[in-house]
Amino acid sequence: MTGTTRPYYVPVSNEELVFKAAFRQGMAVLLKGPTGCGKTRFVEAMAHDLGRPLITVSCHDDITTADLVGRFLLRGGDTEWVDGPLTRAVREGAICYLDEVVEARQDTTVVIHPLADHRRQLPIDRLGITLDAAPGFCLVVSYNPGYQSVLKDLKDSTRQRMIAIEFGFPPPEAEEKIIAAEAGIDPGTAAGLVRLGQAIRTLETAGLREVASTRVLIAAARLAAEGLTLRDAALAAVAGPLTDDPLVAAGLAELIGAYLPDGHG
Amino acid sequence: MITGRLPAGRRPDRFGLLASCIAGRTVAVAAAATGERPWTDGTTIYLAADAADPVTDLAVQASLLAAGSLEPGIARRLSGRPARARRYLAVEGHRALMANSYLLPARARTLIDHDLATRGDSPAASLAVALSREPLPVPPRSFGAINPRRLLAGRDRLGPGSPVRAGERPAPAGDPRRELDEDGDGGEPGPRLEFFASSVGGRGALAPLLQRMLRLRRDPANGGGPLGAAASARVRSRQSTGRGGLVPGVAGGDDGRAPATARPRGQAYPEWDVYRQRYRPGWCTVSETGPRPADDAVLAIPDGRALRRPLARLGTGLEHRRRQFAGDDIDIDATVEARVDGLAGSPRDQPVYVDTQRRRRDLAVLVLLDISASAAEPGTGGPAAGGNSVHERQRAAAAMLTAALHGLGDRVALYGFCSQGRTAVRLVRVKGFDDGLGALEMRRLGGLVPGAYTRLGAAIRHGAAVLEDRGGASWRLLVVLSDGLAYDHGYEGPYGEADSRRALAEARRRGIGCLCLSVGAGTDPASLRRVFGTAAHARIDRPGQLTAVVGPLFRAALGPARRRTA
Repeated sequence: MTGTTRPYYVPVSNEELVFKAAFRQGMAVLLKGPTGCGKTRFVEAMAHDLGRPLITVSCHDDITTADLVGRFLLRGGDTEWVDGPLTRAVREGAICYLDEVVEARQDTTVVIHPLADHRRQLPIDRLGITLDAAPGFCLVVSYNPGYQSVLKDLKDSTRQRMIAIEFGFPPPEAEEKIIAAEAGIDPGTAAGLVRLGQAIRTLETAGLREVASTRVLIAAARLAAEGLTLRDAALAAVAGPLTDDPLVAAGLAELIGAYLPDGHG
Repeated sequence: MITGRLPAGRRPDRFGLLASCIAGRTVAVAAAATGERPWTDGTTIYLAADAADPVTDLAVQASLLAAGSLEPGIARRLSGRPARARRYLAVEGHRALMANSYLLPARARTLIDHDLATRGDSPAASLAVALSREPLPVPPRSFGAINPRRLLAGRDRLGPGSPVRAGERPAPAGDPRRELDEDGDGGEPGPRLEFFASSVGGRGALAPLLQRMLRLRRDPANGGGPLGAAASARVRSRQSTGRGGLVPGVAGGDDGRAPATARPRGQAYPEWDVYRQRYRPGWCTVSETGPRPADDAVLAIPDGRALRRPLARLGTGLEHRRRQFAGDDIDIDATVEARVDGLAGSPRDQPVYVDTQRRRRDLAVLVLLDISASAAEPGTGGPAAGGNSVHERQRAAAAMLTAALHGLGDRVALYGFCSQGRTAVRLVRVKGFDDGLGALEMRRLGGLVPGAYTRLGAAIRHGAAVLEDRGGASWRLLVVLSDGLAYDHGYEGPYGEADSRRALAEARRRGIGCLCLSVGAGTDPASLRRVFGTAAHARIDRPGQLTAVVGPLFRAALGPARRRTA
């Protein structure tokens, strides 16, 4: 990810300083925050700033240790070892980003333990070797604490090996700036969308699995930039993805109607 | 209600989300009577079905709720004083809109009169202006009206779980009857409750307790007349004897027989005394009873299909299978054999992989359903969410879960629980682990009637013991469906919360996964956390939302559960 342009990221607090300090100290980083608030973009921007390659693994509940570390494949009559993404990052000194790490099962996440503490090692049982992490290797995991306390899967022994950076949705002014920049729309239109987003975020769960993230607001703004009315854009990009329940969808449609003008964005 | 006849696109409940986000809490929207101005009872905003600009009407009412303009302390001062309420609204309406201006739709923002909005910085200051002699403009029509009596009645319905703000005073205990008469507009949510609340120390600790006792007693025969001192005296004497003839929970359960049967048999469980930081051994007696199936309340066995999918995906662990045709890893032994066979001249297509597969389900689940009187409260969300009681929703959720797990072949049991002091904690067996799930079980479920209190800790300890004795599976899970109000004689506030938390922690330490669900109850998240502690828990409004939360919840609960080795 050492491309020429830095991925667009607007710092909200001291998160960039904390991340870079942790990187230099070789510490693992835990990013907490709701979906679509900019965790992934933040890691991309940091990888760019620090000049390290970024290897991203999206975790799911069937991911196994072998998927992360590597496995033997058969070629002809012989076996051949193939590195997994984590091993590759350890060898190359890359930033390894395990997205939504709670989705992975706990027996899988324990492989990162020796990497996350002072040892910075990756034991590979199948090869019978232990790799020392190359300089520049940094383990970053993200975690969505979820609404209420439904997801609290991450083991304490895993959490305590990391430093945590907490993410929320950016404050309205910052979010307006982000949306205007990402979608290339005027600040007034962005402000309308942010107001809608703020309104939806005040709702308690109310049948919504998640609230309107910065990501969906940007999606709506991008549709509006293509010439859709703001209202149609928000219906397609905000209301649709948030719910399947017709009653809730009708409620969201009213909400969008109340906050967004009918005219062109 | 008029809403029933309107097509879905025009029903006012579609504004529920908008109202909730402006008010900052869950609020329902329903149709007001024709010609009526918009008003709210604290949980529902009533809008005229033919309103020219429903969004603005609603924004005003929701902002009043958000700004704390309609708190009981204020509502009491306005009760029976329509002119004062109008003057208050003329000032406070602007202040509330102003305070909420960021979240207001543009049209509602144009209503704000900045001069009036800056007259005071709190509802009390607006009230002071309203009480002065100073001339005030008539509030715009879209400000609607304040209905203090319904506000107070709506609040009382919320019961002891509703937060009581500091500085809020009970009504002057002069002559409550007169106050009622003054209120005038005669709506139906019982004057009895209100009278009762004000006659015994307002919102003091005793009031909710007594309200519950009263509710137990409320039958059509003697429930009509005003309950005076005689009723309270009767209640007090019951309380002083510790346990009375009231062990409700089952329809048709005859009160007279209960004391004889409920007392002697049962199992003793300790209780955690948070004040002394030690257990009180053998403190609670739990008895298990078979319920009397209701003849008239036959519930349909719910179709658990929607729930089955998230539940079916719950693997309780993984198993490595050797000699598979595909898999994550190579089975070295099989590979060597295959290679040897190949070199020896008999090449065969051999499975040489190790695969990880989900282990066979071996899960026992015990569902504990709270049938204490607090579950009879109307559920949150008002008419939009179905409008029925917490009990009906939790019962529906229990039935759905039980049916889905039963359908998946897990061992499931379903128990109701309530208590009447520490010696009479009752668990009502709706479905045992070895029972099927048929009409009889559903009739038993239908026969549960909410009553009495919630000694949550004892119920959880017994549930855990039953799971261990009769569960018979290697993974065990305890599901508690409750509004989270732990409340019984000598089991109030922090004490009850600490014991419930402790009981859940004990169960988990013994390798039983625990998860707590509250359906439609207005309990705030902070007190749920105090009661359920770190156990996986969630609060939903409708049983229909189970599908969304059940997968992660069960997974979170099973995470710390251990497979029984014995």
